[in-house]
Amino acid sequence: MFEEPYRWMEAVSTRHNYVQEKLKMGQPVLAVPYNEGLLIFGFAPQPGKIYEIYDRIALGGVGHPADVERLRMNLLDMAHLEGFNRSAEDVTSTRLLQFGIAPALKQNFEEIQRAPYIVRLLLVELNAQGKPNFFRMNYDGHWETFKNGTAIAGDEKVMDWLQREIQKQPFATYSLDQALQEASKLWNESRKLDSDNDEDGKENDVPETIQEAFDQWYLEGAVLAEKSLSKAIYRPLSEDEINRLKSSTI
Amino acid sequence: MMGNIEDTKAGGDFFDLLDRSGYDLQDFLDKLPVNGKSTVPQGTTVLAFHYEDGVIVAGDRRIMAGSNMMFERCEKIIPIDHYSLMAVAGVPAIAFEISRILSQYFEYYRRTQVRPMSLEGKIRTFSKLLKENLTASTSGLTRVSPIFSTYDVETGKPSIYYYDMLGAEFQVLSFTATGAGAGHIRDVLERENQWGPKPLAQRCEKDAAIIAMKLLHVAAQLDNEEKKSLADVQIYPILASVTENGYKFWSEDQLTRLEAMSREGN
Repeated sequence: MFEEPYRWMEAVSTRHNYVQEKLKMGQPVLAVPYNEGLLIFGFAPQPGKIYEIYDRIALGGVGHPADVERLRMNLLDMAHLEGFNRSAEDVTSTRLLQFGIAPALKQNFEEIQRAPYIVRLLLVELNAQGKPNFFRMNYDGHWETFKNGTAIAGDEKVMDWLQREIQKQPFATYSLDQALQEASKLWNESRKLDSDNDEDGKENDVPETIQEAFDQWYLEGAVLAEKSLSKAIYRPLSEDEINRLKSSTI
Repeated sequence: MMGNIEDTKAGGDFFDLLDRSGYDLQDFLDKLPVNGKSTVPQGTTVLAFHYEDGVIVAGDRRIMAGSNMMFERCEKIIPIDHYSLMAVAGVPAIAFEISRILSQYFEYYRRTQVRPMSLEGKIRTFSKLLKENLTASTSGLTRVSPIFSTYDVETGKPSIYYYDMLGAEFQVLSFTATGAGAGHIRDVLERENQWGPKPLAQRCEKDAAIIAMKLLHVAAQLDNEEKKSLADVQIYPILASVTENGYKFWSEDQLTRLEAMSREGN
């Protein structure tokens, strides 16, 4: 049946609908710059949204956990082989995405006999000059770059709203605590937007407010901080930093 | 990209990843002449001992080929991860390769498994690499004598391991040294530890650093392969520590001051 171009296009379109529907419940991951590096964070019912990929690169994921895991392993393999065979300086998020994972994801998506990856990925990097780079990649291999922060979410409307709101704020001038507070406010607002869009009105287990999210879910967050003493500049948010955020939202 | 469920592994094994990429250290070692006379450059003296905050690691910077000095700025103390240092005497080509593999291995494991490798795991991985170097090292061509110093964040304890060329590991509770000048250094360290003002493990960082500098002077003065010290031409030994804050190297300025203090006999 796929010899006919229309049938193939129809099948691809159906796959888009299928993946988008499956992704819909994916909780947002936000990445923003701050005055000493960049911050990536999100709330989720179970840990597994934010990961370290290499010395100066981190990953955020939305979607099926097994698919996020498989792509994370691919990124880790590529990064460590490149770092071993050449140099840590040759491991960049652009190379990992543009020449590595994006073409493979696109091919996978268009081979309609294979199961598609149900994922959206956010790759962030603080480059050797201390400049943050933000990349967002879709399940079909399409990727975009941003200078001032970005977000991924299961729901495209939420994702687009977060993207617009992030651009409105001077995150790069904020301290880490400020950036975390402001980004959390955006996360909170986006939850309301998400609930408003819930046309079916069906009940789900998603927290309505940020306080509920703190109580019921996990806050996962990390920074890539220029002032790190280690060559691997990724570090998870400390308990103190999370507690300060928690008390600021009450 | 997709594998079968039967092929599923826990992951985190960098050797497996290297194998899949076609890298083969063993193949390279197997091709080396087994009975060749060793004129391969060799690193000379490195040492490590416990002090009150952790472990001091020091080494001279020379590479010798027989009685010829091939290089005088070699860095024989190599960071493996944020809490581990490897100090090597022996053939730098293999030592550097081992350190490169280990460094990627520990980080790859930590990132894939989202937790650091256990101390025992690190020790065994190091041992495995040395065992793979077995054929070549018994011929004398690529012999490596490493010291592995690390700080275990879980237990809050520093530790030092010395390896023989067959890959057996020995935990050192006080001090160790390896390389051409090691015999002289061990004698002095034993004296310092037994009859000095305090046991080495109770010395402060400054005292420990000065002792390390003095020891490398001793090795340079007494060892045939090292002969005169290079302090006159401002090439200082490498000095580092591993503590609960990770590893740290002394800067060139700090070494200049330490060198002066160690010469004064303080």
